[in-house]
Amino acid sequence: MPAVIETEGLTKQWGDLVAVDSLDLSVEKGECYAFLGRNGSGKSTTARMLLDFIRPTRGTSRLLGGAGSDPTVRARVGYLPGDLNLPRSMTGNDAFDFFGGLSGTTDKDERKSLVDRLDLDPTRPVRELSTGNRRKVGLVVAFMSNPELLILDEPTSGLDPVLQEEFRDLLDERKQTGATIWLTSHVMAEVERVADRVGLIRDGHMAKELSMTELRHQTTGTIRLAFPQVVETSAFEGVAGVTGVRVEDGEIVVTIEGPVAALLSRAGELGASHIETEKRDLDDVFLELFDLKGGAT
Amino acid sequence: MSAALRIYLRWIRDRRLSTLMWSLGLVVIVVMTAAFYPSLSESGGDIFADSSGAMSTLLGLSDIIDPSSPLGYLWIGLYANIVPMTLIALGIALGSAAIAGDEETGTLEYMLSKPVTRTAVALSRFAAAATILFVVAAVTALALIASIPLFELGDDVTTTGADGSTLTQPGATAADVAAGTFASFAVGLGFLGISYLLGAATGRKGFATGISTAIAVGGYVLYTLSDATDSLEALTWVSPWRWYIADAMLLDGLEWDVLLPFGLALICLLVGWQWFLRRDLQNP
Repeated sequence: MPAVIETEGLTKQWGDLVAVDSLDLSVEKGECYAFLGRNGSGKSTTARMLLDFIRPTRGTSRLLGGAGSDPTVRARVGYLPGDLNLPRSMTGNDAFDFFGGLSGTTDKDERKSLVDRLDLDPTRPVRELSTGNRRKVGLVVAFMSNPELLILDEPTSGLDPVLQEEFRDLLDERKQTGATIWLTSHVMAEVERVADRVGLIRDGHMAKELSMTELRHQTTGTIRLAFPQVVETSAFEGVAGVTGVRVEDGEIVVTIEGPVAALLSRAGELGASHIETEKRDLDDVFLELFDLKGGAT
Repeated sequence: MSAALRIYLRWIRDRRLSTLMWSLGLVVIVVMTAAFYPSLSESGGDIFADSSGAMSTLLGLSDIIDPSSPLGYLWIGLYANIVPMTLIALGIALGSAAIAGDEETGTLEYMLSKPVTRTAVALSRFAAAATILFVVAAVTALALIASIPLFELGDDVTTTGADGSTLTQPGATAADVAAGTFASFAVGLGFLGISYLLGAATGRKGFATGISTAIAVGGYVLYTLSDATDSLEALTWVSPWRWYIADAMLLDGLEWDVLLPFGLALICLLVGWQWFLRRDLQNP
């Protein structure tokens, strides 16, 4: 079965500016792929090339086995742009009718269910809606046709934390039904729950591609242990999972990957009086990966 | 309902209010102008009698046009200037909005994420813009036609010359007004085509509006100045006004030349559409 999204050497160049550079991407059916990068790194440009709004300078892209310019392909895609602009005279209901009509969507139950879940008043004109409420309209339009592929450019920007949670539930449900999801974000924590795989884009290059499992390994934790008596660092050498031991302010600081059972057992034997865990979250990893000095590794 | 038809109807629907305003504006102008005819005809049209050559050109006058006759009056008061100019302005506004307007606001790109082709958008938008222009022109013509019997514009006018000879000039008919308005619509459509092409090619509404307006105004200035100067008379052929004024279809009835701006609009549509198919959309 061909990949749902497939690009080969996809490149977009405006004069000297290379917005996207030789991007090779393959997203399988049912996968949730998060495209992560800083502002201006080429995420939206990639989305716009996938949907044929702009044409690549070099390379090719295919969606659902066809061209992004093909209406029959786009009928199977739900899209939410990063900068959503709806005709200002439209109400939410107008937008659902018009864009739903273009997509041949007739299922009003699904649309009503989405409107209720996102707590949206669909009778108000777009011009009166806040940024967050406009994005809700866009989310309803993107999801209401039950598309096979969702292309979501910074989907949760402007949504409050409660709605972000609702949105993630929605994505989970769509994943269960076999939909493929490609979303962009610059917030690592946002994609932590939903993504299966993450591509890190930097200055138009794919800097790194890794599964969420691999990414979580990079969130290696540290455990700080206090003892009533002096304990040498050598006491932790050879304990399973321990990757480093040092003394800091009279306490032992152990870095560990994987299960902590062996370490805790050893600490117990030595009579530890206090245990504190410190874990780098994904945002720390993101910042490190995009460290301007070191570059993406 | 096809996607193209939905886009066509939606675009017109979004412009209901502005279409109404343009129509009302023109209706008020033509009815008010018509209402002044009875009082001006009593004065024998003297106010135009002393016009200089340049002024005559500005007014669209020529030797054969008698401003005291109903048709001469309508020509000078409306059809040599205000009606075509307003329809040109509307045509430019619609043509530049058809693609570039929505592209600048980002709504075009969003629509193109749905299962519609660029061709469907390009053609249905042009058709919608032309429809609105036609509706405004038609309402204008109907208002003036309804004014003819109210303000003596349908009456024949007989004048007696210095040598005692009499000349009878016919009153205005619905057919005259329809022909004159159709020619004005045609020139408006030509400019709609120009601004559509510029907008479809660049995605920049301000650029499309600006250049089209410059062509319209520049053409008018060029025509009036060069027509008043014998040595530059040839230049008048560069101006779309030459065609419009010289044919004066309100007075002389429709001529085949009326198809010229339709041809121009068609060429602009074809080129603009093909250009639009081949280029990147502007980043909203």
